[in-house]
Amino acid sequence: MKLAFQLAYKNLVGAGLRSWLNVGILAFTFIVIIFFNAYLDGWNLQAQRESIKWEYGHGQLRHQDYDPLDPFSINEAHGKLNTPLSENLTAVLIQQASLYPEGRMVSILMKGIDSDQKILELPTEAFAKSDANIPALIGKRMASSNKLEVGDQLLLRWRDKNGTFDATEITIIEIFETDVTSVDAGQIWIPIERLWNMTGLKGEATYFIASEKYSHSPVDKWYYKSQAELLKQLQEIIEMKSASSSILYFLLLGIALLAIFDTQVLSIFRRQKEIGTYIALGMTRWQVVQLFTVEGSMYSILASIVGTIIGIPIFWYFSTYGIGMPDYVTQQDMGVTIAQRIYPAFTIGLIMGTIALVVLSATIVSFIPSRNIAKMDPVDALKGKVQ
Amino acid sequence: MEPIIKIENVTKKFPEGEGEFVALKNINLEFQEGEFSGIVGPSGSGKTTLLNIIGSLDQPSSGNAWVMDKNVAELSHKESAQLRNLHLGFIFQVYNLLPVYTVFENVEFALLLQNKSKEERRKAVMQALEWVGLENIPNKKPSKLSGGEGQRVAIARAMVKEPKIVLADEPTANLDATNAHAIIQTMKKLNEELGTTFLFSTHDEKVMQYLNRIIHLKGGEVEKDEIITAQNPKS
Repeated sequence: MKLAFQLAYKNLVGAGLRSWLNVGILAFTFIVIIFFNAYLDGWNLQAQRESIKWEYGHGQLRHQDYDPLDPFSINEAHGKLNTPLSENLTAVLIQQASLYPEGRMVSILMKGIDSDQKILELPTEAFAKSDANIPALIGKRMASSNKLEVGDQLLLRWRDKNGTFDATEITIIEIFETDVTSVDAGQIWIPIERLWNMTGLKGEATYFIASEKYSHSPVDKWYYKSQAELLKQLQEIIEMKSASSSILYFLLLGIALLAIFDTQVLSIFRRQKEIGTYIALGMTRWQVVQLFTVEGSMYSILASIVGTIIGIPIFWYFSTYGIGMPDYVTQQDMGVTIAQRIYPAFTIGLIMGTIALVVLSATIVSFIPSRNIAKMDPVDALKGKVQ
Repeated sequence: MEPIIKIENVTKKFPEGEGEFVALKNINLEFQEGEFSGIVGPSGSGKTTLLNIIGSLDQPSSGNAWVMDKNVAELSHKESAQLRNLHLGFIFQVYNLLPVYTVFENVEFALLLQNKSKEERRKAVMQALEWVGLENIPNKKPSKLSGGEGQRVAIARAMVKEPKIVLADEPTANLDATNAHAIIQTMKKLNEELGTTFLFSTHDEKVMQYLNRIIHLKGGEVEKDEIITAQNPKS
């Protein structure tokens, strides 16, 4: 095998431009595959991290009627836990309401949360520092879409537990910045004690956010969504995106492999006398097959080296400075968490996996035409008569 | 003394259209170690076919070809490759040098297949290049060599592993008279010094004058087996 590598390397370098064209296109493919996957991995990691920090915590204990995707049932999906409230759970109560910024009516979700909670990154400690009647936290998307600023006071209207409308003024005490649109767009966060008073739903919650120490045991009328289950939807969306992106790089890889296949077919046809000579000098046919296969896979090895050399500064730049996402993507609720800058995650596993994929596929496409050498008559090969 | 090559009732047929072409008809020949012999005859007389069978590149349709006590007809691909690698050297009409390798690497190739150490290979290659007078150009590529130099490299490549038998198929066909004489003289010298058996296929008069034995083939049959001078057996 060592001999095959030595000879293949010499043959490849000796073939000049043809070899380097194949290596070039394969190296480009190698970089694109790694870049796209790292970009999606980076997005996935950032989205997961942010979702955990801002929304999911380490899991959610949800009221049996709560379905985050059903706006018609949200108002009724609340209740009290039969067991004493664990210190590892933070209650969140959700009620629908209307907000009147600049005289317009905006339907929102009003979320009450404990001001002492430490599980989420929401700056709820600001509630305690405020002397406003109803202090409210909003995200930058909510602030931007409704032209709200810190200190603004605006009318809030809601229904209490008996269905009676009530209204009061709330004060924006802080605007937080998050990549998680589902805790930002179209919602306000207020102290849960105030929301209990406003609605008469004392001690009730729509769901509880679990801390790391929370250990779940089944609770009647409540269902538990672990962190992994909550992240699953996000992962599925990213996997779907990954699958669609993979069409592009499989197409690129296909072109590169086609170039290698074509080169191998042409090479075997043009180098018949050389093949005959190898056999005359004492190589077995399978050694020659091995030599040509290694030659083909050597393209991928060289491409991995060239790709790594070219790719390292590119990968370093993007993993350090990230890739800016356009505002129309980050400012709207796209149904999935997207950071303003995505930092691709170039992992050793991804790079090694891509090298393995490229080398393996190049070896297979090199072997397919090369195995015909085994059937070659050395006398015909020496005469260059093989068709 | 046991012959180094023994051809026994060898017939070789090739498919041709719906019938077949008989390239060799019931050939019987023996070659002793150290011979400097040639198979001569017009084109299509079966010279190269016979040489290919002896070189275990081809197999007879019937009969047996014994090369160093091994029946070519019964060898597997691996065994015939081993026979060629260890005991047979080939010299071709168009040199068949490997274009991306240097002179040194071309000659070294056969030794790489024998897994010899780097130092052993270097010594043997330089020795072989010295035999053919090319020790000063080991780093030249085949594309930069003249016809005579190319064929000398091919001789060095065939001789570097010091094989028992060298098979030379029309080695002077592409050379001018001066180079042809020089090449044959080089091979003759190696035959005398190392006792290597040389078997040529040729119709070149310049080659014939150096041969100790000439086998005339015509239409795939031995027409005449002519001993020119006393053989030079190694023993």
